Amino acid sequence: MTAIYYVMIVSALYFVIMMLSFRNIWNISRRAAYSAYNTLSGSELVPSVSLLVPAYNEELTITENVRCLMTLNYPNYEVIVINDGSSDDTLDVLLKEYELEAIPNPEIRGRLDTQRIRGVYHNPQYPHLYVIDKENGGKADSLNAGINLSRYPLISSIDADSLLEKDALIRMARMYMENPEETVAIGGDVRIANGCIIENGAVKEVSLPRKMWPMFQSIEYLKAFLGGRIGWSHINGLIIVSGAFGMFRKDYVIAVGGYRGGYPGEDMNIIIKLHRYMLKNKIPYRVAFCPEAVCWTQAPDSYHILSNQRKRWGRGNLKNMIENRDMLFNPRYKVMGWLTMPYNVIFEALNPYFRITGLLALLGYVLMDMTNWHVLLVFGLVNFLGGYLLSIGALLLEEMAFRRYNKLSDLVKMLLFSALKFVGYHQLGVLWRVQGHIQYLQNNNTWGTMTRQSWKEKSKTA
Amino acid sequence: MSQATLQRVQSTDLYDELEQEARQHRGSGFALMFLYSADRLSEMKDAVRGYVEQLSASGAQVREDAAMRTLAVTLPGYSLDAAHYEALLLKQLLEEQRLGEPRITLAALTEPPASSVIKQMAEATRLSTSSDIYIYTEQKSERGRGRILIVDQDAAVRDFLHIRLAMQGYETLQAADGLEALDLIVKWEPDLMITELNLHGIDGLPFIHHIQQLAVKHPPKIVVLTEKRVEQTISQCFESGVDDYVTKPFSPVELDARIRRCLQ
Repeated sequence: MTAIYYVMIVSALYFVIMMLSFRNIWNISRRAAYSAYNTLSGSELVPSVSLLVPAYNEELTITENVRCLMTLNYPNYEVIVINDGSSDDTLDVLLKEYELEAIPNPEIRGRLDTQRIRGVYHNPQYPHLYVIDKENGGKADSLNAGINLSRYPLISSIDADSLLEKDALIRMARMYMENPEETVAIGGDVRIANGCIIENGAVKEVSLPRKMWPMFQSIEYLKAFLGGRIGWSHINGLIIVSGAFGMFRKDYVIAVGGYRGGYPGEDMNIIIKLHRYMLKNKIPYRVAFCPEAVCWTQAPDSYHILSNQRKRWGRGNLKNMIENRDMLFNPRYKVMGWLTMPYNVIFEALNPYFRITGLLALLGYVLMDMTNWHVLLVFGLVNFLGGYLLSIGALLLEEMAFRRYNKLSDLVKMLLFSALKFVGYHQLGVLWRVQGHIQYLQNNNTWGTMTRQSWKEKSKTA
Repeated sequence: MSQATLQRVQSTDLYDELEQEARQHRGSGFALMFLYSADRLSEMKDAVRGYVEQLSASGAQVREDAAMRTLAVTLPGYSLDAAHYEALLLKQLLEEQRLGEPRITLAALTEPPASSVIKQMAEATRLSTSSDIYIYTEQKSERGRGRILIVDQDAAVRDFLHIRLAMQGYETLQAADGLEALDLIVKWEPDLMITELNLHGIDGLPFIHHIQQLAVKHPPKIVVLTEKRVEQTISQCFESGVDDYVTKPFSPVELDARIRRCLQ
C-alpha cells in the first residue's frame, strides 16, 4: 500500500508545483511580449556580464558556439572560453579562427584555487573575446579559472555545446535588474536543439528532433523547466540552475568559495551553497528562473551517451544530498530545509527504491493472489493519467506563453511521445539512477564520455 | 468634350511621350498623376478611364505603363489643387469599387521635366507604402545620387530607410545580417552603408574591421545606426574608422543630413 501513497503524494506535489507555474505564466508571457529588449540591449545602465564557457574536447562545436556568443544582443559583455586541457584541437581551432595571440602578462585578479594556467589569448580586433588555456581540472575548475580572469560583476556559465538565443542574455539581465540587490542567481530555459536548423550560430528553424532519445528528452526538459522550475522559483525553492545556461552574482559565488571541483553536479552544488550562505547570514535573496531566456543544447542521441549522462546526474545528485544532509528539516533553512531538500531526497534521490519496492510488493501480491486484476488496472491507470496530465500541463504552458513549436504535427508528436514515455523510458530513468548510485558507492569519479557532433552535421542528420 | 484614349506603348517610350505632352502645355499648367496597383491593374484601368471620360476638361488621357504596373493620367490645364481634388475623388471611387488600396502620386509641372524624372515618379508610386496621395516634387529627385547599403535585422527599419532614401534619389539595397552585408559590399560596391551593430552571423566591432579589410577599391563610408548607446562602444567605433554614429530612436532629418555630409 505504501507504493500507492507514495505515488499519490508525488503526484499531488507535482500538481501543486505545476499550479504555481500556471499562476505565473500569464505574467511571464506578458513581460516577454512587452519588454523593450532592443532598447534595453543598448543601454549603458545594464550591468556588464562575463560569459564563462568551459570547453573540454569541443573542437567540433566550439567555433559555432563562440560565433553565437559573440553576436548576442547585449550592451557590454565579455566571452571567456576556458580550454580545460583538451586532448583534441579545441585550442588551435579557436586560435586560428580568431587569430588570437598570447597576452604576455595576463591580469588575473581572482583568488580561487585552480589548476595551472598555461596562457591567456586575445586579439584586439575581437576586444570581447578571451581564451584561457589551462591544465585539465574538470568543469568546476574551469569555471573558477574563468571567474578569476573575469572583469564584470555578473557571470554567466554556458556549456560549449549550447547556443543562446540572441536576446537570451538581455532577458535574463532584465530580470536581474528588477531586483539587483537580492537576486543571486537566475536560471535559463534549456531546450533541445536536435532537429532544429542551425545557421551561423543561431537557430534558424525550430523543429522537434527526429530521433527517439532526443525526442523523449525534449518532453522531459519541457516538463522539468516549464512545469517544475517556474513553480519552484515562485517559492524561492529552486535547487538547481542548469549548468548549460545560468547567471550569477560574482561576489556571492566567490563568497561561497566558487564552484566545487572533483565531482559532477557542480551546478546544483553552487545553488545549494548559495542558499546555505544567504540563509545562514540572514541576507534576503532569491534564486530566480527566467523561462523566456532560451538556450538550445545538443542532447545525447544514443543510448550509451544518454545513460552515461543520467548516471552522472544520479551520482551528482546523491553526492549533493549526502553532503548537505544537515539542511534537511532544519528550520534555519526555511523553504530549502522543509520543502526543497526533503523533496529532492525522497522524490528524486530515493525515487528508484520506492518504485522498485512498490513493484516488488505488487508482484508479491499478484503471485500470492492477494489482489484482483481490476485494482491493478485502476492503480496503473491512475499512475499513468497523473503523469500524462503533468506532461500535458507542461505542453499547455509552452503553448500559452512561448509557442516556439508552431507546426501542428509537432504538437501531435509531443502528445504521442508524452504517452510513450511511460513505457520504457521512465523505467530506464530509474535504472540509470540506481546505476549512478552504485557508481557513487564504487567511488567512480569520472565524467564519462560525451561525444559531440558538429552543428552543421547535426542539422543535416538529426 | 472629353477624349480618353488608352494606348499600349513601350514603357520607355511612355515617359518620352509624357515629356512631349508636358512641353506642349508649357505655361498653361499641366498635372500628372500616377496610380499603382500590384494585382488589379486592368480593373483599375477601366474604372479610371470611366472617371476620366466624364471630366469636363479636354485632353485628359490615361496611359498604361505595363512594365511598372502603373497608370499615367495627364490632366492638361490643371493646377495642383484642382488635380488633387480630382485625385481624391478618384481614390474614393476606387475604394468604393473595392479595387484594393491604390497608390497615387501627383505632380503639377511648371517646367517640362526630363523623362527620367517622370520615370522616377512612377517608381516612387510603386514604392510608396502609404495610401495617402503623395505629392511628388521635382526638387527631391534631383539630389545627389549614390549607392547606399542598408543593414539591419529589423525589416521595418530597412523598409523605412529604403523608401526614404529612394525618394531622395539614392540607390539602395538591403541586407538582414552581417554575412549577407559583407557579400553585398564586394558585389555591389556601395558608396555608403547604414548599419546596425547588432546582427546575426557577425556584428559589432569585428564586423566593422571586416568591412575595412574587404578587397574593394573604395571601401564604403560607414554610418552606424544602432540601439547601442554605450559610450565605450561609440568611441571604439570611431577609433576603428566609422564615419558617423547615430543612435535609435533617430531623427530621419538628422540622418539625412549626416548621410549627405558623409557623401560630400
